Amino acid sequence: MAARRALKAVLVDLNGTLHVEDSAVPGAQEALKKLRSAPVTVRFVTNTTKESKRDLLERLTGLGFDIAEHEIFTSLTAARNLLEQQQVRPLLLVDDKALPDFTGIGTDNPNAVVVGLAPEHFHYEMMNRAFRLILDGAPLIAIHKARYFKKKDGLCLGPGPFVTGLEYATDTKATVVGKPEKTFFLEALRGTDCAPEEAVMIGDDCRDDVGGAQQAGMRGILVRTGKYRPADEDKINPAPYLTCENFPEAVEHILKQML
Amino acid sequence: MAERGRGWARAVRGLLLDVSGVLYDSGAGGGVPIAGSAEAVRRIKASGLKLQLCTNETQATREDFARKLWAMGFEVSAAQVTAPAPAACRLLRERGLRPHLLVHDDLVPEFAEINKTNPNCVVLGDAAENFTYANLNEAFRLLIGMEKPVLISLGKGRYYKETDGLKLDVGAYMKALEYACDVQAEVVGKPAKSFFESALAELGVPPEQAIMIGDDIVNDVGGAQQCGMRALQVRTGKYRPSDENHPEVKPDAYVNNLAEAVDIILQEL
Repeated sequence: MAARRALKAVLVDLNGTLHVEDSAVPGAQEALKKLRSAPVTVRFVTNTTKESKRDLLERLTGLGFDIAEHEIFTSLTAARNLLEQQQVRPLLLVDDKALPDFTGIGTDNPNAVVVGLAPEHFHYEMMNRAFRLILDGAPLIAIHKARYFKKKDGLCLGPGPFVTGLEYATDTKATVVGKPEKTFFLEALRGTDCAPEEAVMIGDDCRDDVGGAQQAGMRGILVRTGKYRPADEDKINPAPYLTCENFPEAVEHILKQML
Repeated sequence: MAERGRGWARAVRGLLLDVSGVLYDSGAGGGVPIAGSAEAVRRIKASGLKLQLCTNETQATREDFARKLWAMGFEVSAAQVTAPAPAACRLLRERGLRPHLLVHDDLVPEFAEINKTNPNCVVLGDAAENFTYANLNEAFRLLIGMEKPVLISLGKGRYYKETDGLKLDVGAYMKALEYACDVQAEVVGKPAKSFFESALAELGVPPEQAIMIGDDIVNDVGGAQQCGMRALQVRTGKYRPSDENHPEVKPDAYVNNLAEAVDIILQEL
């Protein structure tokens, strides 16, 4: 195994790690303060298709976390970055609440398609618009490919099936930008001047947070809060670099052993 | 593109014709006949060659479909149309399946005699505007709730051509539900072998003496060839130049349209 490189960046998942729904994980605010005293760049990362950075920031500061907007990186940000890199104009099949994260990106005369969770856009006419653009060469960008999700009144189709249908019809493959895709983690580090080997990811989702980060070359710390279930750490290979109780413990480990 | 000689046009006793993209282009107001196709059909009938339409049309019953074609100048009867819905009904009856239908409104009468209460399968057709999120979600919830999910797709085309542009076909939505439910659909219609075989049976000609003419290189041409027929790719309908270099399917010939195919075939008779 190569010699460990110095730690320069820490990625922190949000829901399930820093907070669980509307309550902060006990001690997390102080732990974050301590982490900031170290010479590391901190980024807060999450998959979302309908919460803008502004919404997330509001929730986190409301819970007592000291966070700046530019430190938040979401799957929507990843999509936006990709659009800017490729210099394309998207047809946005995303929730209205996600639109603020795309301000400044031109959408006239689109030559790209972005698909998030947006049932109101998944009707035949809009799907045909997207289909024709992609068939003519427009890149298809998927925020993620979830098959379905749970709502109060039952299971509901996620964006995954619609992305799959478009892929089949156009004989192309979507670029998926959310966790656990490698692109997501690499994009989160863009602008931090840190390589994946110099970063660690802290999260409660063994596959999407820890597995994904480690596939991208980072180290992963699995915390036993949020959606964690016993023996989750046995489900990925390689196993998490570390499994510990919660975010404050993860920060302790980082400060004592990884700098 | 130069033809590779006309050997493919010999020893023919019957033709299977795809409809959309060969006879006419569908669209608002019923559609627009493709130049030369109505005359080509007349010439086929006058020549003594047998004729059967082999279509994945699922936006109308066979009777209405034949009537519509007749009104456009194509003199064909409902019996000359081999389409997926009747084949699906046979399958549903054989296997005791009660379908939830996600199809075009105008296709529903084809299933009038089928028991649809307490559905234990989903039948997917070219539902067009009926492909709403709500309708797809309903089909999805039924499938995911079944102990043994059965998804029957009437065809699996990727897209077809209408007068106002290309449109998503049933295949895209079949793939969507397959992905959502982690299930594999059964396809009734082209390119399923049994569907071509029933079209040949209705044509009354063995595969070696039949030629299929279509605009879909995979579902029409590839599917027909796999049954032992010769098959021609027309450059009308959903044809795109990239079809000339398909990695897997090599049509027996490319022709500009049905009229050209019939010219050549009749010359070789």
